[in-house]
Amino acid sequence: MIEAIPTPFIVIFVGLLAVMAFVGLNAVVLVYLERKIAGFIHRRPGPYEVGPPCFPHGILQPVADGLKLVGKQIFTPKGADSFLYWLAPMISIAPAIVCFIVIPFGPHLQVINTNVGLILILAFTGINVLALCLAGWASQNKYGLIGAARDISQGVAYEIPLLLVVLSIVFMTGTFNLFDIADGQGAWPWQWYIVYQPLAFILFFICALAETNRNPFDLPEAESELTAGFHTEYSGMAFACFFLAEYAYMVVAACIMAILFLGGFQGPGAPGIWWFLAKIYVLLLIMIWIRWTFPRVRFDQLLNICWKWLIPLAVLNLLITLAVIAL
Amino acid sequence: MENLEYERLAWAVLFGHIAIIVVGGFMTVLSQSLGRALVGLIMTLFGVAGLFFLMAAPFIALMQILIYVGAVSVLIFFAIMLTNAWPGGDESGKSPGRKYIYAGLAGLVPAVMLATAVIRTAPPSFLVPEETEISVLGRFFLEDFILPFELISLLLTISMAGAVILAFEMRRKK
Repeated sequence: MIEAIPTPFIVIFVGLLAVMAFVGLNAVVLVYLERKIAGFIHRRPGPYEVGPPCFPHGILQPVADGLKLVGKQIFTPKGADSFLYWLAPMISIAPAIVCFIVIPFGPHLQVINTNVGLILILAFTGINVLALCLAGWASQNKYGLIGAARDISQGVAYEIPLLLVVLSIVFMTGTFNLFDIADGQGAWPWQWYIVYQPLAFILFFICALAETNRNPFDLPEAESELTAGFHTEYSGMAFACFFLAEYAYMVVAACIMAILFLGGFQGPGAPGIWWFLAKIYVLLLIMIWIRWTFPRVRFDQLLNICWKWLIPLAVLNLLITLAVIAL
Repeated sequence: MENLEYERLAWAVLFGHIAIIVVGGFMTVLSQSLGRALVGLIMTLFGVAGLFFLMAAPFIALMQILIYVGAVSVLIFFAIMLTNAWPGGDESGKSPGRKYIYAGLAGLVPAVMLATAVIRTAPPSFLVPEETEISVLGRFFLEDFILPFELISLLLTISMAGAVILAFEMRRKK
């Protein structure tokens, strides 16, 4: 029976399972780190130190979180479009998983090596905006609708400098293949593309924070003004899907940054998944650190940063890259 | 024997995509709520992207998703949100029967025209599709076919100008 199935299908199936496990495990680790770092930075022990002495440092807290989310009642609010309401969390999480199948985790660890890997990730991460809008719109809630409107203006605006920055790297390397881009960089830090494109890295980092709705750009779900923004009405696992998707997109963004600017799986000594994981976790820790350090920007500030600063700088960066390549 | 298996699989995938496109299309035109209609449209766009994948053109398939699903649909959604078009709104009532006939004609005419054009001048094709390199594709668009390629972008300008004119006329009526 097994022989009847073509090998590429088996590879994709096993790869998808592995990727889903990776996404889930990462979410657990990141939730723990987020709470831990929040408690540390804000000096508020709580989930940060909870639990019996045999499980120190509150390491059971993510398990308690997970159990609570699974056990919670889920319901459709009155007047909501139930079909779209339940479709939105699924549309949010599914593309995030697809993104991981083209990421080269190590020299031999990649589900599909394709020439259009970078575009695949850009295309599928764009779908998340749509999912959040559907969620906000279908739940027939004022806060949800405002959150969705904010999410669109933010997502559409920040995608422009993001694509321009990616374009300048693609012009440098001449390929969309993520494996080739990582492979083209050397083992030592001064051989990575961050040295050639420091401005691009900073711009990409800011845009990635905005695209993943992280602080200081988490206006679509601003708790202090919009209750919870687009996911105000969601509870239990439906909310957990959005939550999982946010963390998955954070990891995708960190992976892309590691591959484009920090040499991917390359590193001193032997190249491998350990370098890749180390790099993405350093980036993720910086993202969490930023979240608990900076206050949220106002919405006009958010759009001004993008249209008046990031887009001109990204265009400038692209022009300089082109000039250098042409010379 | 293995080739036969693959061919069957390819047919199944082809008809699966066509089914997605058709179901999405009907959902778009028949649904009472604008939000659901948009989801139907997105489904159709995904189906078309899948067909591009089947023809070994992953670059174009992903561009379809990036541009149409990621950007155009999102803008349409923004417009829907601004119109406050709930399922029970003014426009959700039944339309008169002749409108269905006009709509059917409007859909059928371009379908028949395109179908005859495709069947009459079928380009010679490979039995198994081959993937074209992105650089070749770029040369093709920006050297041999630069004029039609740039003309396509005029479409966006025209639609934008049309929207502005419509908005101005509505304001004048008020």
